[in-house]
Amino acid sequence: MSILIQQIVNGLMLGGLYVMVAVAFTLIVGMLNFLNFTIPALFMVAAVTTWATMAGGFGADVDGVLVALLGADNRWIAGALFAIIVVTLASLVIERFTYRYTKTKYGDSTEHALPLVSSLGFLIAFEHLVISIWGSDVMTVASPFGNASFYIGSIQFSVPQTISLILSLIIVFLLSFLLQKTKLGRALRAIAERPDTALLMGIDVGKIVPIVYIIAGLLSATAGILFTLNYTTVDAYVGDRVASIAIAGMVLGGLGNVWGAIFGGLLIGMLEVLSIYFLGASAVKISIWGLLLLLLIIRPTGLFGHTSIGKGKF
Amino acid sequence: MSNIALSLSGVSKSFGGLVVTDDVSFDVPTGSKTALIGPNGAGKTTVFNLLTGVYPVDSGSVKLNGKEITHIPAQDRISNGLSRSFQNIRLMPHLSALENVMLGQHCRARSLRHQLFPLGLLPENRWTSQARRALHDAGLEEYPGQIVADLPYGIQKRIEIVRAIVSEPSVLLLDEPAAGLNEAETEDLLALLQRVGSKGITILVVEHDMHFVRNLCDNVVVLNFGVKIFEGSPDNVSLDPDVREAFLGSDEDDEAGSSDFEGDSNVT
Amino acid sequence: MSGELEGLLVILSINTIYAYGVFLAASSGQLNLGAAGFVTLGAYASGYLTNGFDGLGLSIVLGIPIAVLFVGTIAFLISFPILRTRGVYMVLATFAFAEVVAGVVINAEFLGGAAGMPVEVFIPFYVVIISAVAVAVLCFYFMSTRFGLAMRSVHDDESVAILFGVNARMVRVWAFTLGGALLAFGGALYGHHYSYVETQNFNMLLSIYILLYVLLGGTQTALGPFIGALFFTFVPELLKAFGSAVGQRWIEDGRLVAFGLIIVLMMVFRPEGIVTRTMLTKMFTRKSRALEAGE
Repeated sequence: MSILIQQIVNGLMLGGLYVMVAVAFTLIVGMLNFLNFTIPALFMVAAVTTWATMAGGFGADVDGVLVALLGADNRWIAGALFAIIVVTLASLVIERFTYRYTKTKYGDSTEHALPLVSSLGFLIAFEHLVISIWGSDVMTVASPFGNASFYIGSIQFSVPQTISLILSLIIVFLLSFLLQKTKLGRALRAIAERPDTALLMGIDVGKIVPIVYIIAGLLSATAGILFTLNYTTVDAYVGDRVASIAIAGMVLGGLGNVWGAIFGGLLIGMLEVLSIYFLGASAVKISIWGLLLLLLIIRPTGLFGHTSIGKGKF
Repeated sequence: MSNIALSLSGVSKSFGGLVVTDDVSFDVPTGSKTALIGPNGAGKTTVFNLLTGVYPVDSGSVKLNGKEITHIPAQDRISNGLSRSFQNIRLMPHLSALENVMLGQHCRARSLRHQLFPLGLLPENRWTSQARRALHDAGLEEYPGQIVADLPYGIQKRIEIVRAIVSEPSVLLLDEPAAGLNEAETEDLLALLQRVGSKGITILVVEHDMHFVRNLCDNVVVLNFGVKIFEGSPDNVSLDPDVREAFLGSDEDDEAGSSDFEGDSNVT
Repeated sequence: MSGELEGLLVILSINTIYAYGVFLAASSGQLNLGAAGFVTLGAYASGYLTNGFDGLGLSIVLGIPIAVLFVGTIAFLISFPILRTRGVYMVLATFAFAEVVAGVVINAEFLGGAAGMPVEVFIPFYVVIISAVAVAVLCFYFMSTRFGLAMRSVHDDESVAILFGVNARMVRVWAFTLGGALLAFGGALYGHHYSYVETQNFNMLLSIYILLYVLLGGTQTALGPFIGALFFTFVPELLKAFGSAVGQRWIEDGRLVAFGLIIVLMMVFRPEGIVTRTMLTKMFTRKSRALEAGE
C-alpha cells in the first residue's frame, strides 16, 4: 500500500511541473483561441539555457565569469535569470508573428489555423537551433541541491521536487487570483469572451495580448528551469515530451480552464507514474492518449471546461 | 400540379426570448414573381433561412409544390426544387466563377458516376457547357475562369444568382439581389429575372428597391416585426394603412428613411 | 543516376505521397496533425503482411494493397467520431490518435515492440518514384472531379455547400479516409525501401513536418502539396550544400531552423501557401494571351 502511495506522491511531483505548462497552454487557448505550440519550445529553451549556464554550455569564457561572480555551485541562479530573460524576449517576438495575424480575409478553418501553424514553425526553429548549437544528445548536469529528501512515515519526498511542486502551485494560485480579482485579470477575461467588444470597451488589446504571451512564457520557463534543477538531464526534444503530457492535462481539465489545468496536470502526472508502475513504461502512451481521444470525442469540454472554444477557430 | 408553389402556414421562430417570426402564413402562387418586403429587422432573411432549412421552425409548416418540407434536412431541400441566393455574397472565394456556378448543379449530379467524372480535365462537357451558357445568359461571359475573390461586387452578386438558377429550381429565393448594383446592372438583372420567370420558375425576392419590385413583381407580401401585415397586389400595397404605418410611422408623413418606399409610388 | 540523387528522389517521392495524404483532408478544411499515425499503421501492417519469417509471407502485390485497405478502413471508422469535433478539438483528436497508434505499436511484441521491425521484401527506388507520380496523378484527377469541387466548397463555406445539396459530412469523411490511405501507402513504401521500421521514424515531428510543408505549398490546388514536398526535401539540401561550399557549418546545421522561420514568415506574408489559384489563373491567362498574340 505504501508503495502505491509513494507512486502517487511521485506522480504529484511530476505533475507539479506539468501543471505550469498545462496552465500556459490553457491560458492561450482560452484567451486567444489557439493551440500555442511554442509553449513546449519555450519550456525546452529555458531548460536548456539553465543547463548551459550551469554546465559551461556557453563556452569557457562565459563560464569563467560566472564561476568568478557566483561560485560554481550557484551558477544556476544566473541560469534561471538568463532563461527568464531569453523566454520573455522570445515571447514578445512570437506574439508579433502569431496573434496579430488571426484576422484573415476569408476565414475558413484552415486559415484560422494561422497562429497554430506559426507556432509550429517556431517550435521547429527553436528545436533545431538548440540542436545546431549543442547537438541532439542528452545533456546532464550535476544538481546543485544534491539528493536531499525527507520522509513522512515511510514515504520519501525529494526536497527539490517538493519545493518545485509548492512553487508551481503558488504561482498558479497567484495567476488565478490575478485573473479573478485584478483589473488586468478582468481585462483578460473580457478579451477571452469577446475580443471585438473588449476593444470597444476601451481595453487596450494591443498592449494586453503581449502580456498574456509573457505570462504563458514565464510559466513555461519556470517549469523548464525547475525541470533542469530537479531531473538534471535535458535534450532538445524534452519539449515534445512535455507538450504531449501538458496538452493531455489541459484537455482533461477543459480547454481554457486554469483550475482544470491544474487538476488535469496533477492527474496526468499521477496517471503516468501509475501506468509505468502497474503496466510498464510502454503502456503510458496508450493509457493517457487513449483516454484523451475518448474524452475529445465524448466530452470535449473535459471535466470542467468551456464550450465556447474551438468552434472552427484555432 | 398545384398552383401554389410555396406555402407557409403558421410559421414561427424565436431565438432565445426574441420572437423573429410570428405565426406567418402566406402563399406564393406558381409562376408568380412575389416580393417579400418590410422594414429592416422584419424577419425576411429569417423566413428564407427557415424555408431553406438553415434553422428548424418552432412551429408551423412549409409546403413546396404541395409537398411538406418542414422537416426535411437543409441538404435535401434543393433537390426538391428550392434554391437561393444570399444577402451577403456567399460564393466560394477560392473557386472560379464557373466552378461556383457548377456547385449549383451538384444537386442534379449526386450519383457516384457524376461525382467521379473529371470535370476539370475535359474542357468541354455538358456540365461546363451548361454553366458557361448560364453565365453568358446573365451577361457574364468574360468571367468563367476568374477566381471570384478577385472580381467586383456587382459581378459576384450576379454569379451567385446564376448559381442558384443553374440548379433548375421550381422556386427561386433571392435575398436582395439588386443591393449594391448600379442602374445598368439592375436593368440587366431585371431582364434576366424576367427570362427566368418566363420559363415557369416561381420567384420569391426580398428587396428594398421598390422600383425593382414594381417592375418585376406581380405579388407582394409585407412583414413587420415578424408578422405578416399585407399580402396582395403591388398596386394596393402602398394604399394599405398597416403598411404605411410600418414604413412611414403613424405621425410623420415623410421620413427620410422611408423614401425608398414613398418615392417610387405613383398611386398616392 | 548517382546514389545520392537517387536517395533524394526517393525521399522526395515519399514526402510527396505523405503530402497528398494530408492535402486531401486539408483541401476540405480539416487539419490532420496525426499523419504519423496512419504512416505507422501502413508501414507496420504491410511489413507484417509481406514478411516471410515473422509475418504472413504474402506477395507484395497483395500485401501492400491489403495494408492500405486495412488502414483506410480504420481511417474511415475513426473519421466519424473525430470529424464530429471541430477546430482545436479536431487537431487535438488527430494528434491523440497518432499517439495512441504509437503506443499500441510499441507494445505489440509480434511487431518487434520498441526495437522496430525489419522488412524483408525490398522495393527498388524506381517503384517508389513511379508510385509517387501515380499518387500525384490520382490526386490531380480527384480534384478535377465534382467530388473535388464538393471538397473545395466544403473548405470555403460548409454551410452554403450543404444548402446546395453537398453531403458535407460524408465529403469530409471520405477526404479524411482517402488521405489516411495515402499516408499508409507512403509508410508501406518507406518500410519496404529502407527495410526497417520503428516508431521513432514516425513521431510527432513527422506529423508536424508534413502538415507544415503541405500548408507551405498551398492547399488550393493539386500542385501545392508537391511544391511543398519539393521545398521541404530540397531546400535544406541546398542550404547544406551551400553551407559546406562556403565553409560555414552554421548554415548547414541551421537549415531546419530556416524552415521553421520560413513557415512563420509565410504565415505573415502569404498564408495561402506558395501555389494559389489566382497565381495559376494569371499564369495561364498570360500564356494563352501570348499564344493568341503570336498567331
